[in-house]
Amino acid sequence: MDSRKILIVDDNADIRLGMHLRLKANQYETFFAADALSGVTEAQKHRPDLIILDLGLPAGDGFTVMERLKQIPLLAAIPIIVVSARNGLGNQKRAHEAGAKAFLQKPVNDAELLAVIRQALGEPAGTKKPSPYDQGSV
Amino acid sequence: MKKKPLQVLVVEDNAGDVRLLREMFSGEKVGSFEITHLLRMSEAEAHLAKGGVDITLLDMGLPDGHGLETVRRARAAAPNIPLIILTGLDDEALAAEAMTQGAQDYMIKGQIESRALPRALRHAIDRHRMQTETDLIRTHQMEFKDEFLSHVSHELRSPLTAVRQFVSILLDGLAGDLNPEQRQYLEIVLRNVKQLHSMINDLFEVSGVQAGKLKIELQCTLVSDAIAYTVNTLQGAAAAKGIVLSSDIARNVPSVCADPARVRQILVILVDNAIKFTPQNGTVTIQARIFEEDPDFLLLKVTDSGCGIGPEMTERIFERLFQASDPDAADHNGLGLGLYICKDLVTRQGGKIWAKSELGQGSIFSVTFPIFSLPKLLAPAFSEERQAECPITIVLTEIGSQTGWLSNEVRAEQCRGIRELLRESLYSDLDILLPKMDSAGPAELFLMLAMTDGIGGEAICKRIRRQLDGSDRLRQAGLTHSTSYRPLETIKRNSTESKEEFLERVATDIQELMNVEISARQASNG
Repeated sequence: MDSRKILIVDDNADIRLGMHLRLKANQYETFFAADALSGVTEAQKHRPDLIILDLGLPAGDGFTVMERLKQIPLLAAIPIIVVSARNGLGNQKRAHEAGAKAFLQKPVNDAELLAVIRQALGEPAGTKKPSPYDQGSV
Repeated sequence: MKKKPLQVLVVEDNAGDVRLLREMFSGEKVGSFEITHLLRMSEAEAHLAKGGVDITLLDMGLPDGHGLETVRRARAAAPNIPLIILTGLDDEALAAEAMTQGAQDYMIKGQIESRALPRALRHAIDRHRMQTETDLIRTHQMEFKDEFLSHVSHELRSPLTAVRQFVSILLDGLAGDLNPEQRQYLEIVLRNVKQLHSMINDLFEVSGVQAGKLKIELQCTLVSDAIAYTVNTLQGAAAAKGIVLSSDIARNVPSVCADPARVRQILVILVDNAIKFTPQNGTVTIQARIFEEDPDFLLLKVTDSGCGIGPEMTERIFERLFQASDPDAADHNGLGLGLYICKDLVTRQGGKIWAKSELGQGSIFSVTFPIFSLPKLLAPAFSEERQAECPITIVLTEIGSQTGWLSNEVRAEQCRGIRELLRESLYSDLDILLPKMDSAGPAELFLMLAMTDGIGGEAICKRIRRQLDGSDRLRQAGLTHSTSYRPLETIKRNSTESKEEFLERVATDIQELMNVEISARQASNG
């Protein structure tokens, strides 16, 4: 089976690279966008299986991206995981209302991110190994 | 420009008193005061709700309202209108108490000097305006501070994310093998990153503490769950120092009336502290017992064999930003907010927190939570004035998961939202208690007890269904719901039983009914 495609929309280049390395190690193919507008155009170009979306973005924000994607029939059903530094509650609620599958707060725990991705893609849990350094909290 | 007359509402059922009051305004310029006079509290409420009143003069003995209740009702109808209480000589103490309920002033009938009244009204209005302005400024300041803290914690999180990502990438060998020394140093980086992360969270949390808005949802809560969670979460940190972390839960500890997420948070802070301040190979124990000094409470104790603190410090450690000063202890650093957050959370759940410690002798942190009791929860619904034969209806709302892919955490989060939704929509005009969220089995079950007050259980059910049907978050989460009701026979207190006995009896009836209902649903869920 071809590896699943994931689009990472985040304006921080370091975070994009970090996620790419982690996802690549778990056999996902990655694409990138650094702002809201290219988030939508890259999604159209690559038709990813899943989108990891930051909320604070130039040229719109994560919510704009979700809204635009919803209006494009071919892209409307792509599962979205919001990964944001913004504080929970209000944003979490809004993200869920906008159709996000999950809301994770930065700094993200890699094991959790991978688990949520697998869940959203309907993959069986625990097939790929998360980092032992991200187990537990604090 | 001509000044608009001040609109004065006089609520007073004694015609003689009203006449006297009107006379007192006769010396004022025509058009400076306009007086509306009403006899009953219900009329006053309707009038106040319409708006346009500048100040209310309120008698506390009306045909349809008495004492402080009238003050509360007037404040509820128009919270921003200044209020002056009119009282008799014998009721001065009560009037003084009304001031604490939001009245600006009181005047004793028969002792009001005629010229003084208009002046008192103007002063009351001024005072009220100044108070409102001060409150507004304070609110703005709080909002600014919250916004600032939220902004700062947001800005700090992004770079921290990148640091954490790359450290764990290196540690996982994704960029090549590490030698033992490199690994050790990177582990130190990661540990510090995690600590920074928890400080940022504390910072955000504490802005909530000060605004008094850390959310607390009281419900029937099992402390053993919170203890298991805490031990699970911190076992790793304890093991790393060779510390034995154990729990000791007395048999049959009752459930408490608390917010399960907050109980976990409190325990994690206390145990995390205990581990930090306990040297290699020490012990940390969590105990749960009924509180001997007051059996209505459950006592949780976190005992460590650590460095301890002087007895003179045991109160100060709960203050904001307090730090045990021990510069040698590298891993003791934090913002000094944890215990402060704990104290706020415990106090607001009706419990107490205290510490016992001596230098070098270890510490014992004790926390109490009120034991969950259905009779206590029922008590307001059976208060003296409501004790007439109000029928009770039990409404059960079940939230289930259709798809099954939701993690427990996500589902619990959704269910919390729905609970909030129900509370908002029903609390406003019905006397409803939401005592239990039972998560036994695959479904989340909400139990509600409703004092129907004339509105039947069917109507409540319909309303809940409509509310849940319209809930986006429920639909998006793929959760299902069903609501049913069961009216209880009219319950009457018989002359031989005390109020406590009566409540106990009603509670037992309800508990039994609930158990039957829950096991029936669990059976049908397979």
